[in-house]
Amino acid sequence: MERRRFLKLAALTGAGLSLPDGLAALAEAAESATRPDLVLAHGAAPEKIVTAAIDAMGGIRKFVSRGDVVVIKPNIGWDRTPEQAGNTNPEVVAAVVRLCFEAGAKKVKVFDRPVNDPRRCYVQSGIAPAVKALGAEADYMDDRKFRDMALSGQALKSWPLYTDIFEADKVINIPIAKHHGLAKLTLSMKNWMGVMGGSRRQIHQKLDESLVDLSMKIKPTLTILDAVRILTANGPQGGSLADVQKLDTVIVGIDPVAIDSYGATLFGMKGSDLGYVTLGHKLGLGQMDLSKMLIKKVSV
Amino acid sequence: MKNIRRLTQGLFLLLFLFLFIQTESKGNDELGYPVRLFLDFDPLIFVTTLLSAHAVAKAFLLSIITIIVTLLFGRVFCGWACPLGTLNNLAGSLKKQPADRQGRDWYRVKYYILTGILASAVFTLQPVGIMDPLSLLIRSFSISIYPLFNYGVRSVFDTLYSVDPLGVAAATEPVFTFLKRTVLSFEQSFYAQNVFIGALFLVVLGLNLVEKRFWCKYLCPLGAFLGVLSRFSLLKRSVSEDCTECGACSRVCQGNAAPDEKGKWKDTECLYCWNCDDACPQNAVHFGFGRTKSAASMDLGRRRVLASVFSGIAVVPFLRITPLARTNAQDPRLIRPPGSLAEKEFLKRCVKCGECMKVCTTNGLQPTLLEAGLEGIWSPLLVPRIGYCEYRCTLCGQVCPTGAIKKLKLEEKVKVKLGLAMIDTSRCLPWAHARPCIMCEEVCPTPKKAVWFEKVQVRDRQGKVHTLQQPHVDLELCIGCGICETKCPVLGKPAIAVSSVGESRSKDNQLLLE
Repeated sequence: MERRRFLKLAALTGAGLSLPDGLAALAEAAESATRPDLVLAHGAAPEKIVTAAIDAMGGIRKFVSRGDVVVIKPNIGWDRTPEQAGNTNPEVVAAVVRLCFEAGAKKVKVFDRPVNDPRRCYVQSGIAPAVKALGAEADYMDDRKFRDMALSGQALKSWPLYTDIFEADKVINIPIAKHHGLAKLTLSMKNWMGVMGGSRRQIHQKLDESLVDLSMKIKPTLTILDAVRILTANGPQGGSLADVQKLDTVIVGIDPVAIDSYGATLFGMKGSDLGYVTLGHKLGLGQMDLSKMLIKKVSV
Repeated sequence: MKNIRRLTQGLFLLLFLFLFIQTESKGNDELGYPVRLFLDFDPLIFVTTLLSAHAVAKAFLLSIITIIVTLLFGRVFCGWACPLGTLNNLAGSLKKQPADRQGRDWYRVKYYILTGILASAVFTLQPVGIMDPLSLLIRSFSISIYPLFNYGVRSVFDTLYSVDPLGVAAATEPVFTFLKRTVLSFEQSFYAQNVFIGALFLVVLGLNLVEKRFWCKYLCPLGAFLGVLSRFSLLKRSVSEDCTECGACSRVCQGNAAPDEKGKWKDTECLYCWNCDDACPQNAVHFGFGRTKSAASMDLGRRRVLASVFSGIAVVPFLRITPLARTNAQDPRLIRPPGSLAEKEFLKRCVKCGECMKVCTTNGLQPTLLEAGLEGIWSPLLVPRIGYCEYRCTLCGQVCPTGAIKKLKLEEKVKVKLGLAMIDTSRCLPWAHARPCIMCEEVCPTPKKAVWFEKVQVRDRQGKVHTLQQPHVDLELCIGCGICETKCPVLGKPAIAVSSVGESRSKDNQLLLE
């Protein structure tokens, strides 16, 4: 048994024993120990593959508890429609919102700091209308809610970050897999640029380091990489349908490095081709070696 | 009658403000409300555009309704509907009525202004927007008053939020949220010349302290236009034999229409406010249709009219003998909104109402000062350092009342070049400073990006080799939207900037051999 998995099992067994119905919890803990590192779900209906993938991870109740305030962070960066694959697929986001409410979440907040006009991005992406219809909040980000936070990282010593992320009970990251001119690909770790305040432009001078610094600070409960459609060129906003490939896939996991390392394979790359994946692995943020992971594939 | 009129005025003002506030993107491609409705009802703009550009904007057919209403009832538009007139009323209420009122005899001035405007319009100039009351009001609100209002309200709530005295923020924040959803703009907007344009507006309101409705009586060209039509209106005022010439009506008259002098009542000046009817102790005043003509004749003086005609004509070449008119010498900063007509045609139509600047989602559309010459003052130009042209947005063309900015379909709009971007390699990080940066490429919105990279190896001061991507602009693909300039991290003078050369609307202002 690997060290990580052993620790997980030990911790969960301990937690299970301290609970009144220790036996059931024990069984659950044992199940967690065999929980895959990544689940890859494939199928035509976004909602179904999201649900199937999260079920394979142990079900949404493993991640979201009754009464939780949940923050969901999709990519709503661009004034693009879902077909153009510039933003996270709205059906994927909606499916996660629905699951959170099913698990008893008190409040679900969905937001991003777009590059284009926020109103157009929220509406044209289809995300705001889809999640509002389910009762989630899709407010534009409020300038007053950014606070300088210490990152003490490789590139970023401190940066104004969005406080809602840190005040939430649970955070779920839902990036989309896209091409990017500097990072090569934008996957889960780069999605945290959307909670940065101030002028984000300078971070491109040390992008890989900055992305790892951010991911060291923000630890999501769950990450769902949307690859229903991926953007293979002219990213990160795209525009031409010729650059869009329909993969009908989502990848769910907890370790951002693992997710991004697998995400690279969707584009015919390896995790080690991406600077921030390599650096994240090196600094202990996560595992990039796919051969050391339990990867479960489901089709629905 | 006074209360009915005030109610009507209030409703029109509220409708105006509602439509004004709705002149803002909600994220969809269309606005959903006829936000320029008031301008569409403006017959003066209809006529001057017809004269200067020989064009009939379809929407302006609504202004025929205003003409018909005026022919039936006189200047009721001024007295009952015009939002600027109502604001003048409100400002005028700050002035105590002097006991013995002696109105100025300046009412002719506005007819000379109107004559000048019409004469210059015949010779293709479109100066009407400077003084047209609706254009003036929308411009002043867009550029100055509304941003000022927003700034004030936001400052109050932001202070309450950050200081949070006695925990009141818990109570004020919901109020703030409500205001943001209703009367406040999406974001604080900033405009060049806000003080200048706002001050002129405050002068217009302040003139009410000199004399109530000073603007409407002496300056307003639309008032003059409707006044001329009023000569032929069917609704006339008459005074019965019971009149004792006590002068009560004269003190309440909003238009200086000489209601107390028998046979000298000026139908062109009457705003049909009915104050004289309300005030008359003898109940001797009547408004009715088809009465015998009891109004004074309008004598403007032939020489003065001729002088204003000639002034109007002379101002045309006066404004146009500027080097800016030469292709080689035009201001490179004059980047017009997408769908703008060629400059000459554009200036014949633009009435400087500021609707396009109000609706621009990025705040990039700003009023010109002299970039387009004095003729083009307060017309829109894109200032990419402030805001860029959103690739899939067509709102400015939707709100333009005169078609100076054409309404474009999305497929057409994304092909329109506003100008071209070029890189300043002496400031660009990968070009001059051996540091990676890809902002301009990342944000470039064309499906195949107009900004492309050349992979190069450069040495820094220590001799260390860096592999960098240096940006280039593909002039065939660049549409000059300016987002690269807006987002360029080299603040101040940007390392990539758009100028108007290559703009689709111009035949001459081109660079590439096609």
